[in-house]
Amino acid sequence: MRGTWAGLAVLLATSTAWAGDTPLSTNKSDTPKAVRRITTAIDKHLTDDWTARKITPAPPADDEEFCRRVYLDVLGRIPKVAEVRAFAEDTTPDKRAKLVVLLLSKPGYAANTAARLRAAWLPETVSDQFKVYLGEQYEQYLRRKLMANEPLDKIVRQTLTADVGVGPRGRPGFTTQQAADPDLQAIQFFYQALEAKPENLGATTTRAFLGTKLECAQCHDHPFAPYSRTQFWQFAAFFAEFTPLPPTGPSFVGPLEPQHDKNRLVVPGLNKQVVAKFMDGTAPKWGDTKSPRQELADWVLDPKNPMFARNMVNRVWQMYFGVGLLDPIDEPSDANPPSHPKLLDELTAAFADTEYDLKVFVRGLTASRAYQLTSKQTDDTQSDPRRFARMNLKGLNGSQIYDSFVVATGMRTNPQANQQYYDPGNGGMNRFAFRTLFPIPQKPIETQTSILQALTVMNGKLVADQTSISRGEVLPAVADAPFLDSAGKVEALFYATLTRKPTPEEKEKFTSYVDRGGPSGDKNKALADVFWVLLNSTEFLFNH
Amino acid sequence: MSFDNIHRRHLLRVGAVGLGLGVSGMFNRLVQAGENDPKRKRQCILLWMNGGPSTIDLWDLKPGHDNGGPYKEIKTNAPGLMIGEHLPEMAKFGDRMAVLRGMSTKEGDHSRATYLMRTGSLPVGGVQFPSIGGLLSKELGDPKAELPNAVSIAPQRFFNNDAFGPGFLGPNYAPLMVGDGVFQQQGQQVDVDATLKVQNLTRPADVSKEHADARMELLRQMHTDFASTRPGSISAAHTSAYDRATRLMQSDAGKVFDLSQEKDAVRDKYGRNLFGQGCLLARRLIEQNVPFVEVSLGNWDTHGDNFTAVMRLCNTLDKAWSALMTDLKDRGLLDNTLIIWMGEFGRTPKINQGKGRDHYPNAWSTVLAGGGIKGGQAVGKTSADGTTVEEKMTTTADLMATACAALGLDHTKQNMSNVGRPIPLAEKGATVVKEVVA
Repeated sequence: MRGTWAGLAVLLATSTAWAGDTPLSTNKSDTPKAVRRITTAIDKHLTDDWTARKITPAPPADDEEFCRRVYLDVLGRIPKVAEVRAFAEDTTPDKRAKLVVLLLSKPGYAANTAARLRAAWLPETVSDQFKVYLGEQYEQYLRRKLMANEPLDKIVRQTLTADVGVGPRGRPGFTTQQAADPDLQAIQFFYQALEAKPENLGATTTRAFLGTKLECAQCHDHPFAPYSRTQFWQFAAFFAEFTPLPPTGPSFVGPLEPQHDKNRLVVPGLNKQVVAKFMDGTAPKWGDTKSPRQELADWVLDPKNPMFARNMVNRVWQMYFGVGLLDPIDEPSDANPPSHPKLLDELTAAFADTEYDLKVFVRGLTASRAYQLTSKQTDDTQSDPRRFARMNLKGLNGSQIYDSFVVATGMRTNPQANQQYYDPGNGGMNRFAFRTLFPIPQKPIETQTSILQALTVMNGKLVADQTSISRGEVLPAVADAPFLDSAGKVEALFYATLTRKPTPEEKEKFTSYVDRGGPSGDKNKALADVFWVLLNSTEFLFNH
Repeated sequence: MSFDNIHRRHLLRVGAVGLGLGVSGMFNRLVQAGENDPKRKRQCILLWMNGGPSTIDLWDLKPGHDNGGPYKEIKTNAPGLMIGEHLPEMAKFGDRMAVLRGMSTKEGDHSRATYLMRTGSLPVGGVQFPSIGGLLSKELGDPKAELPNAVSIAPQRFFNNDAFGPGFLGPNYAPLMVGDGVFQQQGQQVDVDATLKVQNLTRPADVSKEHADARMELLRQMHTDFASTRPGSISAAHTSAYDRATRLMQSDAGKVFDLSQEKDAVRDKYGRNLFGQGCLLARRLIEQNVPFVEVSLGNWDTHGDNFTAVMRLCNTLDKAWSALMTDLKDRGLLDNTLIIWMGEFGRTPKINQGKGRDHYPNAWSTVLAGGGIKGGQAVGKTSADGTTVEEKMTTTADLMATACAALGLDHTKQNMSNVGRPIPLAEKGATVVKEVVA
């Protein structure tokens, strides 16, 4: 039967190489101490909180549950059977930490993280069809930087200060010389996605990099004084070079201040000129050498200003735990206090001390007791997701779901196309279509499923083909495997999809279903039914 | 039309189209309260004119002025209400329409204006405002209904995808989309019947019904087991989506999307194009008690050769909309169904050098028709040259509030947003245009 042996190879191969994976250079900041500091802080504060609230935390996740979780969180796909088996059989005591280091070295880590950062920083490029392309270009840049484990402050500094010039109609543009620099090219799309408007750039800077929404200032207490319209535009004025004021006329007398052509704008509707000022009301000492955007980057990323580190820590926490320590993430206020204020403070300081090394932070976070708890609720006191007393269920995005389908079903894809945004073929049920159908969840613990999402997985071509005994890859391989009885076949499909063995009850139920051939007496069809059920299950379609 | 008449028509229709659709439609209609009952069922159809319709050529003509262009005004069946000459069939429904001639909105960019008109708010970083379909389906819908509570027919989302989604209300209020991303240019052929079907609504051909049922039964047990050990909103929402999808697949109501059940003469009456057949589908969905349906007609961005293009678009619009009005009226559904006609903005009164009109949000028109609307009138007035609003300036929020009022909803009702801030149905400061609310 066509595809049988190829399918078996996919299912049972011992190689852990994944199409497109190439090892990265070893993590440069291999600093066990920094990792431990993060883990210890999490363990201490969460344990204190559980004790104080009389919460009984859930037991630890077993190897399979942990392995699946960390693959989805770090790499953005489920592990292959061979990968999870090798991990489960490994007897090294620190194998969980080692697995995380291994996953962080793979390109999938960079791709998965870049997609999530892009969605967080430039949400308009996820939904606005005209801007998707712009966001994807910037995401490629983030990928490159994350692969090299470039510190996050450096990425943000380069983004804020990149030498994008003003082109026609106020759009960013660049000279031939600048165009030769791939970073500058990609960052130019960041500015285009925000239409090179100072108000958009200012609002994105405060929201994405500082975790504070200025546009809501009128109805909330901010960490600073309540914000006025003028203050909003003062902050936006750091990007005023994109809306240059008319040149000063010949009647002008008096010395021109440094940066005067780049640091002021007219507030629309108020007919009032404002000069750039930071959120705390201070202004840089304008000089000839530093542009307003460089001054801004210095202030945003000043180690004495904890907002950047705090926001990044909280954002990554939300990715890995489903809900931020402060959530909504970008609305700090008296009405929205952090769930664990001291923990957030300590993680902020620890992250800043690693010089914004994201990999060290992820290693510390995934080594914590809370991250390694099972998602099963074993006690009523574990029900509040913001106490982290069991692992929260998290929604997956389209790339994670598509890539997990590929792993589970052995579906053949062009490895190169699979790394890209558009993978033609599969009757429209390609990676790109999945990205559109399953957008990156803004609140991972509250992800809802739509009817069309359900219909696509139930009846769509991708799942229909792969649950067909004649068109699938893994399924016919398992069905025809001479060395497997029905129970073994059921177990193989469970492992391929859910990364675990069936429970005794499941094993009994599904094996007898296959043995009697389901309602028609056809064993192969019954096995296809089992595979379909597993691929449609909440357990497969969410991270837990 | 009296309630008894509706009843009789439904019985006749049951005879005509057979069981299934007819019976459930009749039953639901029978249990509805009467027309004057404040609790009566209300539904809404949005006719979305993508690209910015030239309302000065449709609803607020300026004959005799340089800005007026070549079109003439014609009388409607409502005394004093005049509209553009290329809407002759709609002129017969003047008594059911209120033209809002004082629209003045804040945005002239396609993307932002689309967001503004469809959500009632300009994009503000972070807040995911729900589209009007999401908002209304939440207010008017039945969470347990077999059919979705909002359906978008061939939505043209390219200007602003966010303006078509459920926003912070979440996927439970996401409209079901058919023909998503399919556009029909002038003279272009589109397989309309295939386009207007729900994608992936039927199980794969090689899976028998008994196996499909067995799969669902096994899946339900998996879902139950999982939700019992991992309780929470994700498990619940996932199970609920599968239940709704299964109901949609299994129910006879799913057949509502099969337009081949309509007679050729009926299909011809609406126009054999995507918008025309979309309006026919909208009527079928309204008959099945779907509370919100929208149909899009694109290509209104007439920067060049405005008058040829608008005439053609009017022909399509006039045929489909008048057929829709006729069918709804004949079925006694027009009194329950509010029809909103709007685009993202109007077009410049001044005609450009290419005989086109450009984007113009300062002074333009929208139309409310049918249920809850006092028809036969135009409210608001623009200047003789059409460039400014002189009477009854109406904002986006005012329009939203007025639509809510016509649907019996309180526009100050708030929903909790994704940023933890309650957001009212119509933006703060909105005023209902009382003159048009019946």
